[in-house]
Amino acid sequence: MTLLVQRSDVGEFRRRYRWLITVMMLSFLVLAGKLVQLQLIEGDVHRTQALRNVIGEIRLATTRGVIRDAHGQVLAANRPSYNVYVVPEQLEMERGWPRALKLMRLDPGTAVQFDERIKKLRAEDSNKKRQQILLAVDVDRDVVAALKTNEADLRGVQVAPAPVRYYPYGSLGAHLVGTMREIDAETLAEVDGLGYRAGDRMGAIGVERRWESYLRGQRGWKKFVRWRKNQHSEEREQRYLEEPREVEPIPGRDISLTVDIELTRAIERAMRGQLAGAVVVLDVRTGRLLAALSKPSFDPNVVSGGEGKQAVVDAFRRLYADPLKPTLDKTISAAYPPGSTYKPFTALAGLAERLITPKTEVDCRGGYEFGKRYHRCTGVHKKVDLYDAIVQSCNTYFYSLGESIHIDRLAQIGLDFGFGVKTGIGVNPEARGRMPTRAWYTRHHKGSFRGGFTLLSAIGQGASTVTVMQLGLAYAALANGGTLYQPQVVRSIETSDGTVVQDFPPRVRRIIEMDPERLHLIKRALKGVVVERQGTAHGQRIAGVDIAGKTGTAQVSHVTPKGVDPDKVWYFNRDHAWFSAYAPADAPEIAIVVLVEHGGGGGTNAVPIAMRVVRDWQALKAERLVARTAARDRDAQGSTL
Amino acid sequence: MLGGRLTFRERFDWPLFLGVVLVAIIGVVNLYSATSPYIGAEGRSGLADVYVSQVYWLVVGGLLAVLVAAVDYRNFERVAYILYAGGIVSLLLVWVLAPDIRGSSRWIQLGSFTFQPSEFMKLLLVMAVARYLADDPKTEPRTLFDLAPVLLLTALPVGLVMAQPDFGTSMTFLLTVIAMLSITRIRKASVVWATLSVGGGGALWFNFLAKDYQKDRIYSFIDPEADVTGTGWHALQSKTAIGNGGLWGEGFREGTQNQFGFLPDQHSDFPFSVFAEDWGFIGSTLLLALYCFLCVWAVHVASQAKDRFGAEVAVGIGSLFFLHSIFNIGMALGLLPVVGITLPLFSYGGSSLVTTLIGFGLLMNVSMRR
Repeated sequence: MTLLVQRSDVGEFRRRYRWLITVMMLSFLVLAGKLVQLQLIEGDVHRTQALRNVIGEIRLATTRGVIRDAHGQVLAANRPSYNVYVVPEQLEMERGWPRALKLMRLDPGTAVQFDERIKKLRAEDSNKKRQQILLAVDVDRDVVAALKTNEADLRGVQVAPAPVRYYPYGSLGAHLVGTMREIDAETLAEVDGLGYRAGDRMGAIGVERRWESYLRGQRGWKKFVRWRKNQHSEEREQRYLEEPREVEPIPGRDISLTVDIELTRAIERAMRGQLAGAVVVLDVRTGRLLAALSKPSFDPNVVSGGEGKQAVVDAFRRLYADPLKPTLDKTISAAYPPGSTYKPFTALAGLAERLITPKTEVDCRGGYEFGKRYHRCTGVHKKVDLYDAIVQSCNTYFYSLGESIHIDRLAQIGLDFGFGVKTGIGVNPEARGRMPTRAWYTRHHKGSFRGGFTLLSAIGQGASTVTVMQLGLAYAALANGGTLYQPQVVRSIETSDGTVVQDFPPRVRRIIEMDPERLHLIKRALKGVVVERQGTAHGQRIAGVDIAGKTGTAQVSHVTPKGVDPDKVWYFNRDHAWFSAYAPADAPEIAIVVLVEHGGGGGTNAVPIAMRVVRDWQALKAERLVARTAARDRDAQGSTL
Repeated sequence: MLGGRLTFRERFDWPLFLGVVLVAIIGVVNLYSATSPYIGAEGRSGLADVYVSQVYWLVVGGLLAVLVAAVDYRNFERVAYILYAGGIVSLLLVWVLAPDIRGSSRWIQLGSFTFQPSEFMKLLLVMAVARYLADDPKTEPRTLFDLAPVLLLTALPVGLVMAQPDFGTSMTFLLTVIAMLSITRIRKASVVWATLSVGGGGALWFNFLAKDYQKDRIYSFIDPEADVTGTGWHALQSKTAIGNGGLWGEGFREGTQNQFGFLPDQHSDFPFSVFAEDWGFIGSTLLLALYCFLCVWAVHVASQAKDRFGAEVAVGIGSLFFLHSIFNIGMALGLLPVVGITLPLFSYGGSSLVTTLIGFGLLMNVSMRR
């Protein structure tokens, strides 16, 4: 039997067999060549791809750090919440899937939508149907329970925990503590490399935003082998997975604030009669923020997505339409004319320049003529010296001083006390405020400066604006003898088990050089505002509240804000009511600034709020002292026993 | 009926027999590996048992092959046209009886099982064309006019199968006949004309008659990465599987691309990818060598045939086997577009397997009666 020997009767085919065999062998050679390419040359590439197909990665959620107040009360924590995912390929379309839809208690429209989406995905021959698809966010607890109990029948339906941020105190201090938001595509691109993923939440405002990198923690991950429909196989894991197979999540850092939430609550109570405004309470010895409230506020739980995406959209639509600007942090992010609360600083400048002495007297007849204008005073104060002028808030006295002092000197003392520059609190966008100089007026007032501007600056009107926080820090500096602090919100950062990682000591911005005697005069006058019969705060004092401060009634430029009902315009044209103070009057511990937006006269509207807050602060202090002493006694007893 | 000079043992074509048996056994074992991911899988666990029915079909096909080998092939020559006519009728019956499976009608239901007439038609076409060429022992080169009957014999089933629509199978009809003609003497001008008209016909088909899914397959072959979730995804996953096999392979039933369900239609369209992933370059090359041997051996049988019919039948069967192998493996390797052409002795499917075995039975017949 020899290959390819021809017979005569099939002679026509002779020689062509050879050709046929060549074609066949060449074809197989081409196939073998391709095998060489795929298996030997590109083998590693394909192997990597095949491994990628086989290895799944589960992300292990981390927990965001808790935010507490100065006394350990939880201001922001995490609430358990559950999301439902499905893996289309694993679903049992006849029984399990319809049952899952039913158990989830969706409205029929949504259910049909989901159903169609899943069926479409299943029909496609793509990798997508093997992956988890997010079906529902923050589902009801009953639904979670129902899905979990029926887990065995619901292949491909997965319930996964996805904690939601929870703010136990709701709107109380919401601007400061902050809110969360879902990360959008734009931000995601910006924070590339920090491990954020679509659907993650991040701090949107307040401490949540400023301390995001500390609070968020670090996600962990775990690799697994998708072996035979979720069967676990240690041997295969050994074979396909590289070390490390798992990285534990690192929980976020906890943050303790300097803020006292009970004091914030006291402010909220005291502010109840007013529509809008802001209050800060600061420790004059450290610059720590003890309480801050901006009114009106909002519910951070809703804004942070605790009630679903639609609720967030609705909430923001409502908040942004509100002319009272609930989203604005009025303690930090907005500047207002300080009005008469600025007079102590004008007085200090006048004394320092020796333009006045404590004994200088001015005869107030209810106004002051300057140039062609007549500047009105708050009343007819007769002969007043500096003490009286502050106690009774006499404008005439300060107009007179304003005529002789240079406006830049007034601006300078403002800058010394921290006005016109950012305080560096680091939370929320800060308004700078404005201490107008001659140069500023020349630039902004059609190129001409008029002496009248100085008169207005002297009583805290005109172009001067300050933030509530700046005013609080300046009064704290008055109270503590001239130390201007950088305000602090965060006291310490801790790990989740309570170990302090970082502590923040007070930070002094500047020691303001002042003659102690002059300062003493001012402080005496500030006390007089409350205790003297003619004092502007006298009428609203509360027995037992030891406080010194200065009232202010800041005129508002009469402009109709956009989108305001004409019937309500009167409200927006009313003066801002101020009271800046510190307590106790002779040995100050706290500074407090109350601003009631469009509240009218400072004496009648802002003072009572400050009085009540300080009263509550005194009560809280006493209460805590008793509790601490009791605890110490208990410990002492315990150790002797 | 066997020629007197040699005994049965001497006449029996052992290389052919052993080659086929070896490939068939490897095929069944590979089929077990290919469908093993379905073991215990809800809903599709039936697929895990197809290797058992494949064994049944092997037995059925083997018996039929023995029958076919036992009867002198010259008897088949006599009834070739009648068989061909029967085949055409069964192709027409598809239109009346066939259930629509995945957008094409290819199967006929007979009692509890279905069969695919186009599979058997391949052999019937080979015999009919062989009969015509055997009856026409021209010595001078043939013209297109001489070949007109052959072209007609071919065009009929090609058209019918194309209409099912089954592009892959109709192409094998055409190419098989071309292979059979290639060993005859044809005028050069005729070859040129034929080539041009087939090319033109192809272009016309693509522009006016081709279904969208067929066009998609061709497009995705040209640029597989363009549509990784659609048709190109199959080809890509198959290449990944083969590449993942590397030199030595992942091991029997250890190929992850198959075991994790990334290979689509692994038991019908991509059994070679499963094999290549399990057994690596070494195994795949040996398998290619076996397939190559069977193809070449068929041509060798043709060269030994005692008459023109036997030679043409052997070439036709060899070409069928060769084309199926090359198309299927080429498709798995990403060299050719994804057309649903089975890998003989490897792909699951009764009709395909039985046809292949009957074909080898005929080949044995020719080989034993040289």
